[in-house]
Amino acid sequence: MAMASSKKSKTTKKIFFYIGLLAVLGITLFPFFVMLMTSLKSSAEAISRTPTLLPQEWTLEHYRNVFDPVLFPFMMYFKNSFIVSLTAAAISVLFSIFGAYAVSKLKFKGRATINSGFYTVYMFSGLLLIVPLFRIISGLGLYNTLVALIITMVVQTLPASIFMLKSYFDTIPDDLEEAAMIDGLNRIQIIFYIIIPLSISGIISVFVYAFMIAWNDFLFASIFLSSSEKFTLPIGLTTLFSTPDYVWGQMMAASLLTALPVLILYGLSERFIKGGATEGGVKG
Amino acid sequence: MKRKAKERSNAKLAAALLLPSVFLILLLIIYPMLVNVRISFFEQSINPNIDPVFIGLENYISILTDLAFWQSLGITLLYTFLTVAGSTVLGLAIAILFNRPFAFRKVSRSLIIASYVAPTISLVFAWKYMFNSGYGVINYLTVDIFGLFETAPLWFDEPVLSFVIVVIFAIWRYFPYAFISFLAILQTVDRTLYEAAEIDGASAWDKFKVVTLPAIMPVLIIVATLRTIWTFYIFEDVYLLTNQVPVLGIYLYETAFAFNDLGKAAAISVILFVVLFSVIIISRKRVSLNGNG
Repeated sequence: MAMASSKKSKTTKKIFFYIGLLAVLGITLFPFFVMLMTSLKSSAEAISRTPTLLPQEWTLEHYRNVFDPVLFPFMMYFKNSFIVSLTAAAISVLFSIFGAYAVSKLKFKGRATINSGFYTVYMFSGLLLIVPLFRIISGLGLYNTLVALIITMVVQTLPASIFMLKSYFDTIPDDLEEAAMIDGLNRIQIIFYIIIPLSISGIISVFVYAFMIAWNDFLFASIFLSSSEKFTLPIGLTTLFSTPDYVWGQMMAASLLTALPVLILYGLSERFIKGGATEGGVKG
Repeated sequence: MKRKAKERSNAKLAAALLLPSVFLILLLIIYPMLVNVRISFFEQSINPNIDPVFIGLENYISILTDLAFWQSLGITLLYTFLTVAGSTVLGLAIAILFNRPFAFRKVSRSLIIASYVAPTISLVFAWKYMFNSGYGVINYLTVDIFGLFETAPLWFDEPVLSFVIVVIFAIWRYFPYAFISFLAILQTVDRTLYEAAEIDGASAWDKFKVVTLPAIMPVLIIVATLRTIWTFYIFEDVYLLTNQVPVLGIYLYETAFAFNDLGKAAAISVILFVVLFSVIIISRKRVSLNGNG
């Protein structure tokens, strides 16, 4: 009898747990669900007084419009975003591998200072730099170029990238390096043949992090870019707000397609990363 | 002797490896900070052809006597407090919910961080649509179904409601950060501690207070500190959602690029930097104790 009741309370507990879980997921994902469904509804249905959960009439019209360069230069914005994010993430990863190796594995004077310097800069906000960066970028003749954005994104991500990679490198035992040195490898070879392969999941998460920061950036893109053919997605998409009639289907289709690359990248990287210690340390 | 030589070559190599990072950070973070201070003493417009005029402390005086600045500071502090508290508590609660084996755990965990990693603009479009006063689903639910409001509130055009919206948006968007951090540390807590507490007849709240809270304290401090700093400098989340909540980020941005007053904007940056730096100095002492310095 007692067994049966305890079993029952266990089942009740389980049911409550799954209800709680569904509620959490529902609240987190509902806006994404709305994005998807609205992008598949007709324009009239999207502004009906009684909202529909699922489209009564499914349509791919808005996706066709988004990809039609005559109607909306989505592909161009996408390409610009992609160039900026990929380049910035690649450079950030490369520089942070070098930097993190130095602060993790080499003993030298001033190491602690450099380390705490990176950590302090990590907490800075790019917002405080908009005035001087605008002036410096203009002074260098880089105003309205993607290069301006790439450099800025590299710098904005470097401190956190170095920080994350350092904690991965710290877990690699020094014995491995000493053995490799006895085998005649120099430090640079050690980085490429030993350190990088052993911390590949850390490198992937740094890449994903840097890509995300660059992909999502609105602030610097809005300051540095002035002509439509240079716009990245976050800036390009805001122009949809300026149209007198909100084209919700198209806006939702574009929003979803803009979010997709980072969502996919995170989804994929989760497969590689087994809960690194610094996973939570992403700036945003 | 040999060891000395090795250390010297280490230093050379370290310098070479650190050069790109340190150079870029000096050029595009440290140097701009100094330029900020300089610009803050000038009257300077965006147009490079108009020469800057030295005006001493006038920019600072005009900010500190500007009611809009103090209002903005108040709004930002309230926004930061509510958002950080809300997203941290929610993240912790959900992390505790997740801290057990169950089906689809990994998938659920990945899905929860979607709002945190997605671009602001996408999320803002979805929220603007959901809270639209004509045909948004939230108004349909609150007005037509549950009758909470007589008429559809103008969520993005009324200051108080807009403030509510930006706070809810930020809690919704940033709780995954706390969630991920807490889940990682919760997994390291020894299960037998809970069992021991249970034998002693501890309630769920007792167990939280005696076992969970002390274990997660270091992470709680880091999460709260970092989130406070980043939230204090919030810009685009609020800027893109509504023009009714003038947080400091927007005050700064608009002074520079809408009112064309780079000198005053630089002075705002300097003031905010001083505030930030004091917080960092205080927090570094605490955070670095936990092996992150």
